[in-house]
Amino acid sequence: MTFSADKPTMIEFKDVHKYYGDYHALRGINGTIKAGEFFSLLGPSGCGKTTLLRTIAGFEDISSGVVMIDGKSMADVPANVRPTNMVFQSYAIFPHMSVEENVGFGLRRDPRSKAEKAKAVDEALEMVGLKGYGKRAAHALSGGQRQRVALARALILKPKVLLLDEPLSALDKKMREHMQVELIKLQRQVGITFILVTHDQEEALVMSDRIAVMFEGEIAQLADPETLYRRPNSKKVADFIGTMNFIPCTILSESGDKVEVDAKGLGKVALDIHQAPPAKGETPVVGLRPETLTLLYPGQSANDRETDGVIDEVIYFGDMTYYDVYLGGTDVEVRLSMRNVPGRPVLDVGTKVRVAWSPEALVLFR
Amino acid sequence: MANSIEAEKRAGWALVSPPFLYTLLALAVPFIVIVGLSFAGLEGGRARVPLAPGDAEKLYFTFENFARVLSEPIYRVVLLRSLIIAVCVTLATVLMAYPIAYFVSFYVAPSKKALWIFLITIPFWTSYIIRLALWRTILGYNGIFDNFVGIFGIEPMNLLSNGALAITITLSHAFAPFAVLPIFVALEKVDRSLLEAGQDLGETRWTTFLRVTLPLSMPGVMAAVLIVFIPVVGDYVTAKLMGGSTTPMIANLVEVEMLKKRDHAMGSAVAVTAMATVAVISILFVLLNRRFIGSKK
Amino acid sequence: MKSAPGLRSYAILYLVFLYGPILILPLFAFNNATVVSFPLSGFTTKWFSEMMADQALWRALRTSLQISLSTAVIATALGVMAARAAVRYRWPGKPGVMGLILLPLVLPEIIIAMSMLIVLIWLGAPQMWFTVILGHVLITLPFSVTIMTAAFQSIDVSFEEAALDLGETPISSFRLITLPLVMPGIISSFLISFTISIDEYIIANFLGGNDTALSVYIYGQFRFPAKVPMVLALGTCLVAMSILLLTIAEYFRRRGVARVGGKDSGGFL
Repeated sequence: MTFSADKPTMIEFKDVHKYYGDYHALRGINGTIKAGEFFSLLGPSGCGKTTLLRTIAGFEDISSGVVMIDGKSMADVPANVRPTNMVFQSYAIFPHMSVEENVGFGLRRDPRSKAEKAKAVDEALEMVGLKGYGKRAAHALSGGQRQRVALARALILKPKVLLLDEPLSALDKKMREHMQVELIKLQRQVGITFILVTHDQEEALVMSDRIAVMFEGEIAQLADPETLYRRPNSKKVADFIGTMNFIPCTILSESGDKVEVDAKGLGKVALDIHQAPPAKGETPVVGLRPETLTLLYPGQSANDRETDGVIDEVIYFGDMTYYDVYLGGTDVEVRLSMRNVPGRPVLDVGTKVRVAWSPEALVLFR
Repeated sequence: MANSIEAEKRAGWALVSPPFLYTLLALAVPFIVIVGLSFAGLEGGRARVPLAPGDAEKLYFTFENFARVLSEPIYRVVLLRSLIIAVCVTLATVLMAYPIAYFVSFYVAPSKKALWIFLITIPFWTSYIIRLALWRTILGYNGIFDNFVGIFGIEPMNLLSNGALAITITLSHAFAPFAVLPIFVALEKVDRSLLEAGQDLGETRWTTFLRVTLPLSMPGVMAAVLIVFIPVVGDYVTAKLMGGSTTPMIANLVEVEMLKKRDHAMGSAVAVTAMATVAVISILFVLLNRRFIGSKK
Repeated sequence: MKSAPGLRSYAILYLVFLYGPILILPLFAFNNATVVSFPLSGFTTKWFSEMMADQALWRALRTSLQISLSTAVIATALGVMAARAAVRYRWPGKPGVMGLILLPLVLPEIIIAMSMLIVLIWLGAPQMWFTVILGHVLITLPFSVTIMTAAFQSIDVSFEEAALDLGETPISSFRLITLPLVMPGIISSFLISFTISIDEYIIANFLGGNDTALSVYIYGQFRFPAKVPMVLALGTCLVAMSILLLTIAEYFRRRGVARVGGKDSGGFL
């Protein structure tokens, strides 16, 4: 993930609102997407991510605010003249056309000669790994091939921005993982801005330079994947991205750049102010990712802090084992994950254990 | 840009307005005229179009046309005959159609279902006048039916001379495909795992059919009943050709009033009464069945 | 597949019942006797020759073709508009408007014919082949709307958006993408409307005035028993044509379904 902040701005949202009748679909979207960035809009269904993508493409009018692409306001610019192209969720491969007719569709108004256009089509097909498929009928393609055709059809027009609406959701798990890597490579190769809509947090983390997490028509957090994962700015974002244990706590004191809390089962912990995103007026909890907790086997000792516990549930995953553990004689249960390596047996339910953890891994939500 | 919901409304209305205006002018306007005429009286004559000069002020609003339809035996007899024939035809077509719909839905391979349905619907699309010509030659004196029963030593029956029977047979044949389709569609929607569940719970095939399949297909049967009953009551050409002048149905009476007697008010009243009767019967039927089906669930 | 010999035999009997009368058509159309009755009396094509030589029949056929072709074109065009508006856009009053357009399906034709006739008389308009078209468009429009609604529904909304996205205008997107994809539906709607119109009798009879349509001509022949074999010969031709047109219509409808990768869910109606 090599994203540099000094790249020029490609897309800018200024207080974008969208109403469907009484329904407020976008509630004041602000933010910028940089040129050449792989950007994701992530959120549960109905959060407005697809609507936002479609306002960039020009398929949805906005009720108020401004959408700028490459420094120009897109108000009154219809979809067909915007410098964006889209890969649709259903791929929208025209069923009555061959692969090359699909890929070359956008070149109809291109003044180049037939031969030059044919060459462009061949190049586009080669780029997505479909060399020699040009004469095939569109309906005879597999899901993965359709997606490649959709990509070639969009990229042949050399758009400034490529929009991808849940492009991988129709593929099976293996194919999806394969295409994630291919898409990243493709984006590096062509170097244009990719904007991906997805509800799959893992997909967003794997692929993106930056991610906007959306809930209920608003951007909850806009950050790079690592920040989102390690320092989510709200309980909701933390819960949506990966798994996080939430432990009730009381705030003892707050002074300068330190916050001291008493977390149930963990005891008193001093946190850096960076571990406490702005207060939202919620009941205070501290969050801990499962992999930041470690089971200590006999003879091992913690580098940091440790707490006693009892195993309540064991979930075996092959490479990993998840343990649900009651902390220090309380009713606070945390999930932790341990890599299964030789010499580290899977423990049974009811085993008394010691759990190691580090104060730096904690995030305070309040 | 304008609110896209507004734009969508405008585009939708603009697009639908030609067919809508057409239907409004060609269907709704004439219909309103008919309803208007059915309540029209004329001092010293009968209301008709076009009105003679000076007749406009002699027009008045009245229920007397309807009173006549309901009180004079000729209208009552013909309306009743139309309804009885329609009930017979509906019963015959729906009872004949159910096993076919059931067979195609449950026993025909999925790839061949469309072909069966196509085969069943084809006769419906062939010229009805030609089919009537055929039925006349089949049912007429010494026709094909008489030839057939003659093999068994039965005297010629000349079924065509029995207007109501000939009409019922012909209409039952004509409306057969109408009854199959809605029942078939309803049966196709029956979740097959429900039937397996039924048998799993100890029902036999027959009791599963009675307790699961039949109730679930009732909406289709109801649709079939309505889709046959409604047009049959209003049938004109079958009664004219198979019933001759002796067994008119209500539509023939409308023609007589309108064109032979040139009594447009009376013709309209007969037409409106017939439609209202059919509408009331259909609505009652739907309501009764809704209660029946509702209590089953 | 389970088997049910009882049901299967019944199904075959039912088809015999449905097709029996139609199968009699060619039998007696080629039978060398004026009386339509068994036993058959030998093969002849003279009824067909008589039919070919009948000038009034040819005039009726021309009138009917005029009516039916116009009906098919107008009904299909209106059907495309209504179906597209219903499938593609949200607008207030949709159920009512679509209900009104589909209403002629359940109205007796005699009512439609008589009410239109009354209005024509009132307006002092002549009754002729043109006025028959007015009635026929009304009764075929519901079929066209139903077929076209299915055709438009089977198309992914993203197709047109994709075309827009690739630089086409809304109009050229419709022409390049949507129109070719619903073309099977359009052909199917055209053929169905044509078939209904050419077979229709009541409206043709009451609104046609002195322009005699084919069905009205055939009806007129019923008065003459000697003409029955010729009517059967004509019927043979008409039924053969209907079945041909329907098979073509069904072929296009299925191809339309297959083309957009949908699942076949039955036939017309």
